[in-house]
Amino acid sequence: MCAIAGLLFKKGRPASFSMTTGAALTEILDATLHRGPDSTGWALYHPALEGQLRMRFFIGANGSGQGDIEKIHAALADQDVTLLAGEVLGCTYGARVRFNGDVLALTHAIERQVRLVSIGASLDILKDVGQPFELSPRYAIDAFDGGHGIAHIRLATESGVHPDTAHPFWACGFSDVATVHNGQLTNYWIMRRRLERRGMVFQTENDTELIAVYLAYQMSRGADLEAALRASLEDLDGTYSYLVATRDAIGYAKDKLAAKPMVKYENEDLIAISSEEVGLNRLFPGRALATSEPAPLTYGLWRRESVFA
Amino acid sequence: METIDLSNMPIRTANEVIRGYGAAHQDVQIINPDAKHYLCVGLTNPIQVHIKGSAGYFCGGLSDGPCIEVENNVSWGVGDNMLAGNIVVGGNAGAIAGEALRGGEIVIKGNMGSRAGQVMKKGTLCCVGNSSFMAGYMMYGGRMIILGDSGEKVGEDMAGGEIFVGGQVNSLGNDALQVAPTAEDLESIKAFLDRYGLTFTGTFQKIVCAGKQLTFATPEPRMRSLPHTQFTGSRVDYWNAKVVEDIRVKAHIGRYRIRGYGAARPVPHLSDLAFRKDLTGAGLDPGALARVNLRTFIGGKHGGRALDLSMPVMIAPMSYGALSPHMKRALGIASRLSGISENTGEGGMYSYERAEARQLIAQCLSGRFGWNIHDMKRADGLELYISQGAKPGLGGQLMASKLTAEIAAMRGIPAGMDLRSPSRHPDVLGGDDLIMKIEELREAVGWRLPVSLKLGAGRTRDDIKIALKDRLDFVELDGMQGGTGAAGNEVLEYVGIPTLAALMEALEGLAEIDARDQLPIVLMGGIQNGVDAAKAIALGAHAVGLGTAMLIAAGCIACMQCSVGNCVAGLATQKAAHVARFDIDQRSLAMHRYLESIRWQLAAISAALGHDDVRQLCRDDLVALTPEAAAMTRLPYEPSAARDLRN
Repeated sequence: MCAIAGLLFKKGRPASFSMTTGAALTEILDATLHRGPDSTGWALYHPALEGQLRMRFFIGANGSGQGDIEKIHAALADQDVTLLAGEVLGCTYGARVRFNGDVLALTHAIERQVRLVSIGASLDILKDVGQPFELSPRYAIDAFDGGHGIAHIRLATESGVHPDTAHPFWACGFSDVATVHNGQLTNYWIMRRRLERRGMVFQTENDTELIAVYLAYQMSRGADLEAALRASLEDLDGTYSYLVATRDAIGYAKDKLAAKPMVKYENEDLIAISSEEVGLNRLFPGRALATSEPAPLTYGLWRRESVFA
Repeated sequence: METIDLSNMPIRTANEVIRGYGAAHQDVQIINPDAKHYLCVGLTNPIQVHIKGSAGYFCGGLSDGPCIEVENNVSWGVGDNMLAGNIVVGGNAGAIAGEALRGGEIVIKGNMGSRAGQVMKKGTLCCVGNSSFMAGYMMYGGRMIILGDSGEKVGEDMAGGEIFVGGQVNSLGNDALQVAPTAEDLESIKAFLDRYGLTFTGTFQKIVCAGKQLTFATPEPRMRSLPHTQFTGSRVDYWNAKVVEDIRVKAHIGRYRIRGYGAARPVPHLSDLAFRKDLTGAGLDPGALARVNLRTFIGGKHGGRALDLSMPVMIAPMSYGALSPHMKRALGIASRLSGISENTGEGGMYSYERAEARQLIAQCLSGRFGWNIHDMKRADGLELYISQGAKPGLGGQLMASKLTAEIAAMRGIPAGMDLRSPSRHPDVLGGDDLIMKIEELREAVGWRLPVSLKLGAGRTRDDIKIALKDRLDFVELDGMQGGTGAAGNEVLEYVGIPTLAALMEALEGLAEIDARDQLPIVLMGGIQNGVDAAKAIALGAHAVGLGTAMLIAAGCIACMQCSVGNCVAGLATQKAAHVARFDIDQRSLAMHRYLESIRWQLAAISAALGHDDVRQLCRDDLVALTPEAAAMTRLPYEPSAARDLRN
């Protein structure tokens, strides 16, 4: 019960487009704010740092934050992760680290000691309780000007309103994979038990996390993102439009009932996605856009032409 | 041509300005629309509106007569519930284009999204490009012309109307049938296309309702009715007469049985609570009515005009269709005499009832039967029905025997079918769509009326939070003891959750998000008297709703066969001879006297507890008489407090 947003510049942001990537995602969300007043989140893809990882953790508010940071430092040190830099941002702690091991193994080793938000060479997930314009300055979203990102506002239905249940969800254990979703999965518990039997770990009872974990599971078995998206149409029951982002791409899948909206606009420079056309018009005020809505039971993928552009 | 620039005008203002031009019959152009929602909603003047760009959700919705041209795209629900007029869209349309259309013409020059024309009843929806999934889903009438491909499952569960497909028919929906179009069909389509300057040279295929599922194959046999008391309660024989009857009937018809009323099995209820203080002498205080303030305003939270009730009591929504015309008029009179509100229920506003009731809530259901902008404006409140306590998750049922020609015409559907209303709204598939629907309703009446939600108790703890966030003015919360005109027996007994549990879940849900007093709850579902009402209010309800009790006050004999249409008391029937037995004046006075007994009980109990306002009743006034009720309500378990106040 939400709105989704996505923006990908095929070759980097053109000079003619005046907003930063972060600001543009925030504008799309604000235009569709009626769909999700509870929490907001962004999955931002920065240029990859050679041999380094970006890690983000939730920390307690006010007093307990410092203790949490110490716990994070200790947990990282235990796993031979070298901390290069760390910074508190809102209710999170972001760290830049050097780590040459396996991210999945690292995740399994620390996920019960700390509250992990995301890990990736590019990915940084920022999410909190509140609305886009209110949170954007706190998390310096406007300053983000990378090549792509996805974002989300949420109207909580079944699970609670906490930063943890805000979207995007990281595909726990898999670098740089994040998901946002509008809709609901009706076979959540069946799929969750199936994935848990195969060793996948869940941090919340939010169905979007299941999508992220599901895609990560498919990819861990050798499927590429496209194959994972295709398989999800078969395996995930319910009504949904979801976006998944990786280091160089944004993909979508839409269920066969097509009851959850998703509108896209594409030109030679960019692809922009919103739950409603009104979100896309925020990027292009006063213009009649040639938008389209993906057909039911389809998936798709847009890649950046050069990740490092 | 007047110009409205939406880049610097809120939509609510813009719609009033458009209506102002409409009143003066002046045409309008709208610049910088930027796909904003609710444009031209509620417009009832035949003016030209030219939208220079894209429009958002519900463009031209709930309108009558406008001519709207959109240069680019429209989002979901263009022309929702339009009665007459035309809308031409230059680009694509999102999902549910022409949903619940009741007349007029819509032309989409591009493609259209899924479920186009869902529950449409009249008029023409034409798509020049391709249609997506389930075009004509649950269509009741009217005409759809798709020049491109049909998409999957075209005509799914349609009950009437015609769909013409010029391209490929990708697949037929359930109970849809492909036939050859007649010469008149083709001539009429050609005339239509000519009028809009469209050319088409291919051939059409026509899709109609196959009609295999419109009525149940074997009707339920007429039985001597076994009264309520013979099969309720836990002390009856396990294989009692009602169970035996039930099995025999199912052996004959091969499906679930349909009956009226709500759950009959015993579950913890308000009668399992008592007042802590001994109120034995409460009824003897002649000054109670004068001393206790009962007047209740409800619904003004978001700027609409609140309902003004002389006591915290409403009449529950019951449709004209399920109930006879005489009964609906009598309910209108009784509500007026007692200074409370009446509710249309499903199927539209019965004008005689409108004339009698001083305050009437118009209810909007999934099938949008009888729903239209003019009746919305005649109402004192709007209510979106999500579900009801007797059958949460299911739509209404009106068997063919009660669907008379007059009621079918009012609802805009073919007569003679067993009407099973859709279980979902075309445009409410979650909390995010819900708020957009609510805002469309508010826009249509200029934000002047309260908008409430009728919520059957199911997932109450979560749903109540959504209702709060979606900015409803109040919620009518209905537990499983709530009655209905027709539902499957097993559904009635086993699907909902008890009224008492529903109220507790709702209150706790609100408390969890620190919103305890921010959303008034009108509790319904088996409220029998003023004592129940006082207990409900003490627990935290803002008011109560009465349905079944009103029927009984009007002469219902509780045979529970409301669905059959042979109601001997003339309440729940459409047969003229039976209806004629119902004396409107006498019965409305009987209901009025019953309502006054509730007023008296509310006042007497409040006064005896030392309150001068009914809203001072609180949890501290209550105890539970059974362990189950104590567990449900977290009230102290004090069986010794059992005293029967009803005597």
